[in-house]
Amino acid sequence: MNRYLPLVIVSLAILSFATLLLVIIPGMQIAKSGASPGLKPYTVAEARGRAVYVSMGCLYCHSQQPRDEAQAPDGERGWGRASVSGDYAYDTPHQLGTMRTGPDLMNIGDRLPSQGWQLTHLYQPRAIASWSIMPAYPYLFAHKAKADPGDVVVKLPPAYAPKTGVIVAKQDALDLVSYLQGMKHDYAPPTDGLRDDGYELMAAQQHNNDAAKASK
Amino acid sequence: MTDKNKQDPRLPDETFEPYEEPRRIPMPVYWIAIALAIWGVVMLVQMSYSTKIGDKERASMSDQEVAATTPVKAEPKPDAGKALFADNCASCHGDAGEGVADAIPPLHASDVVKAGGASAITHIVMRGIGGPLIVDKANYDGEMPSFASVLDDKDIASIANFVASDLNGLKSTVTPAQVAEIRTASADLNPWDGGSGLAGLINGLPAQPASETAPAPSPDAAATAALAMHGTNEIWSCASCHGDKGEGTQTIPRLAGLAPAYLAKQLHDFKEGTRINDSMDYVVKSLSDKQIIELANYYGAMSSPSGARPSLEGDLARGEKIALEGDWTKNVPACFTCHGPSGIGVGDKFPGLAAQQPAYIAHQLAMWQGGSRHNSPLGLMAGIGKSLSDADRRAVADYLASLPPAAANAKLALAVSATTKETSNGQ
Amino acid sequence: MQITPTLGLLLALSFIVSLLALTALIWAIANKQVHTPDQDDARSIFEPGEGAEIDSPARPHHFDTARSGIDKSSSGPVMWLIGMGVFWLIYGSIHGLAASLELHLPDLMSGSAHMTFGRMRTVHLNSVIYGWSSQAGLAAIFWIIPRIFHTPLRLGWLVNLGTLIWNIGVAAGVLAIANGWTDGLEWLEIPWQIDIALAIGAACFVAPLIATTRAREVHHIYVSGWYFLAAVLWFPMLFIIANIPGLHWGVEQATMNWWFAHNVLGLWLTPLGVGTAYYFIPKIIGKPIYSYAVSLVGFWALALFYSQVGIHHLIGGPIPTWLVTLSVVHSIMMFVPVIAVAINQHVTVARNLWALKASMPLRFISFGAVMYTLASFQGSIEALRSVNTITHFTQYTIGHAHLGAYAFVSLVLFGAIYQIVPRATGKYFPFPRLIAWHFWLVVVGFAVYFFSLTIGGVLQGLAMLDASKPFADSVTLLKPYLEGRSLGGGLMTLGHILLAVNLIALAFSKRTRDLETEKMVAAQ
Repeated sequence: MNRYLPLVIVSLAILSFATLLLVIIPGMQIAKSGASPGLKPYTVAEARGRAVYVSMGCLYCHSQQPRDEAQAPDGERGWGRASVSGDYAYDTPHQLGTMRTGPDLMNIGDRLPSQGWQLTHLYQPRAIASWSIMPAYPYLFAHKAKADPGDVVVKLPPAYAPKTGVIVAKQDALDLVSYLQGMKHDYAPPTDGLRDDGYELMAAQQHNNDAAKASK
Repeated sequence: MTDKNKQDPRLPDETFEPYEEPRRIPMPVYWIAIALAIWGVVMLVQMSYSTKIGDKERASMSDQEVAATTPVKAEPKPDAGKALFADNCASCHGDAGEGVADAIPPLHASDVVKAGGASAITHIVMRGIGGPLIVDKANYDGEMPSFASVLDDKDIASIANFVASDLNGLKSTVTPAQVAEIRTASADLNPWDGGSGLAGLINGLPAQPASETAPAPSPDAAATAALAMHGTNEIWSCASCHGDKGEGTQTIPRLAGLAPAYLAKQLHDFKEGTRINDSMDYVVKSLSDKQIIELANYYGAMSSPSGARPSLEGDLARGEKIALEGDWTKNVPACFTCHGPSGIGVGDKFPGLAAQQPAYIAHQLAMWQGGSRHNSPLGLMAGIGKSLSDADRRAVADYLASLPPAAANAKLALAVSATTKETSNGQ
Repeated sequence: MQITPTLGLLLALSFIVSLLALTALIWAIANKQVHTPDQDDARSIFEPGEGAEIDSPARPHHFDTARSGIDKSSSGPVMWLIGMGVFWLIYGSIHGLAASLELHLPDLMSGSAHMTFGRMRTVHLNSVIYGWSSQAGLAAIFWIIPRIFHTPLRLGWLVNLGTLIWNIGVAAGVLAIANGWTDGLEWLEIPWQIDIALAIGAACFVAPLIATTRAREVHHIYVSGWYFLAAVLWFPMLFIIANIPGLHWGVEQATMNWWFAHNVLGLWLTPLGVGTAYYFIPKIIGKPIYSYAVSLVGFWALALFYSQVGIHHLIGGPIPTWLVTLSVVHSIMMFVPVIAVAINQHVTVARNLWALKASMPLRFISFGAVMYTLASFQGSIEALRSVNTITHFTQYTIGHAHLGAYAFVSLVLFGAIYQIVPRATGKYFPFPRLIAWHFWLVVVGFAVYFFSLTIGGVLQGLAMLDASKPFADSVTLLKPYLEGRSLGGGLMTLGHILLAVNLIALAFSKRTRDLETEKMVAAQ
């Protein structure tokens, strides 16, 4: 190769082709399938809580995309049904995540609906689960001598409670918990919902093999 | 010294320019490229089959949801009632509604049905009934669950009309619209209080025994309710996870209507470390033995509609077979052999399974299998858990979630004995 | 319902387009491969004697870049890029180590939001990718491009300006992230307002390269040049499309996210590393690359296949099946360009193993080149659904990412720095032994790091797939492996500090290479 312009033009054309296939066409297909019928937009508090979630980087340990039963036992762990593209219609930035250092949170509001539990757990995860490696978020809470009216007091066991006074949740913590409580995708997926069904065939084949073995 | 280049005479001087020699592409590169390309095309074609299976699954989930939530306006098919009766009623009342002597009242040619007609049947199906009852001059004292959460208006109308006309030769019928009205009127009401409770409902009701006086509310009832609904400074309320009506969610179990002795044993097991759950371990640490008994009674006496519905893509027919007949090729006994007909629970040891959360059932079965849960009598459940495959767990969990919840049985309440410790262990 | 699979299949068969393009390329090569590119083509244009600096028939493939003043034109900008790159390397390593420690000592740094894991890890990624690898790679580009084009670097001042703006952008970006201001997408966390600075910086790097390319004194573009020239245009295109605010939403944003993130690796960092290795391996050994035809296949197949693999990060997710499968298939096809590069680079090194002993820079670079082959093979296999179902969502992926971005790209760039700096500054490294220490610390550290995460990740993935194990099991079993990762990361960080020490000492050193030579001559 000895010419600059063709090199550049073909290189950029290839990347444009990839962009068309990986971003533009899927974008059109996803936009066409739209929001899932049962999905509700975020409330103001939930949207604020989602901003806290994004800013703290929860994404780096928690996914928001339960897998199908054909692939993994996410449903049996209470993480909810396999999600489809329409379930994320109100999400930006998306928080699908690629790590499960902690559990999936797509349906955390369904699986652990308790505000009290969430606050204790955010303040000190190891107060509940000694094995947890989640960071504690004490800066989302305030230590007060006495709770003022309207304050939400965090319930803590003696080992983690302050010697005097109480721990109350700051607005950020309350918003974050509103967001988590709102993470409930318990409606049926739309029939034309988009998701990766690539494991269905493998599971069906496996199922047939098992059935054949059992009948012998 | 860094620049060892100088030390090795074979290294070139700085003026050498990299270049590429004119060689052909080695043949293996072609073969690998062709093999991978063929594999890739096969993958892509296979993919379209996967997509079809996935679409079908979503369609079936969506159908279930439509069936469960949409009020159906169309008139029911005439023979739908018979099939629905066989599926939902015959397991207790018998295939022809003949009942079971001294246990289950008959529905065939029954004096109570004749007096009340299709409308009374609808009321009873909607709320359930428990306590002393006289039908055809015979005494009964059992519990029938509410079917409101598992049958839609059209199905209940079909069943009521079938029982009224086919089993009792009455002309009286109800329409789905009337059923819908009764559903609205019955919302949040407890089951009918035995035969005497029906007095206001049915004109010309045969003589009925007086209702048993409900056990006097415990003096600490208010405190227990506060504990369940609001928790303490240290612990979250029960209701914040298990729901205001104890119906549970996902892996958090339904508590309403479970035998108090079973609930108390589980709480003690959490306390002693023979059952493990981080959140429950946290909670029970600050519960006294007395509080445990009172909470067990509180939830044991609670009647609430089902909060569960099949959600694990389980095979319901397979689940029903396991629940009713077991699978002896795998040494799995029928669930209902121990847990009672329709999974309503038996005694202290065998909790009710009907309307339990499917993720909870499947998860617990998996935990029995893996040994993380190991507190069943004689290790029964460990053996069963090991025999069930992943698909079987989901099948049976989804089937149980489709059943109506068992009615609460106040007679099982535990006594708070004088010796019960007021304070919790270690505090 | 009937339409969806058919439509998906049609879309996915766009794979055929990639295959046809590859076939056409190979056909073209097969028909032309009798030509030697740089000799025949050059001769057809330059009459003997006309292109005096180009290969003289007596000494083909020789050109003195130092004496022609070419190195002098680029050494300033290159040294600034290297200096700033190494600063971000240290900064990023320390944050990476801290994030690693936080995973097994969760209460160590929980006092401040700035130091929470989610931010530490993000600062680590952004400083090493945009601060370290990108800048060190650009240093290699600005060093190599003038050399292979036989012409001084044009618009050097613009490169310096670009370096200034770029570093301000990276610094503002990591500060924003530490304070919780983030765009919230992996690899795209730096807020778009700050990204404008990075885009301007990138433009300042592109213009001098185009100017230098247009002024080149050689006819044939050496293979490193293809990778570099394509990469410096691919990156701005990716970066700008990905950062346009308000354009991306929901799941489409996720596909865009991984289209971008994987292409930053595949079409930016990889060409930097491969292009650098393609230049320095033959340069240090003094022997040519195995085959021109193979390098053509390697480059174009990389462009065709690597550009479409990104969605394998979303296997099993809420993404259309055809799209995921398309990326899986392209990931597997990545074997083709990787094997091509492996033939070209490893054959040359394998025939001249003695040089590994003689040259520390070559040791870094060939090690990195081998890691490229391994990382790419691993990546292809990881994209298979049956493997991905275990490794997805686990630490295994982190191990793989470091095999590519660290063991491959960073090691090649370490070698490039050790090779370039003495020639750009005319000074020797004051502590040559530290170079060997650096090598062994990062190699051993990386081995500990990689095997910890790979083994731990597989166990973690298997535990998560096993319904009979509670989720807690996947966390508790991982702890010893996370500790292993911290140990490996610590060794690697130590190695980086040795590099920084050597560079700082060199900056203050007065001993130039000329002085040394004079001394040696005097001693003789």
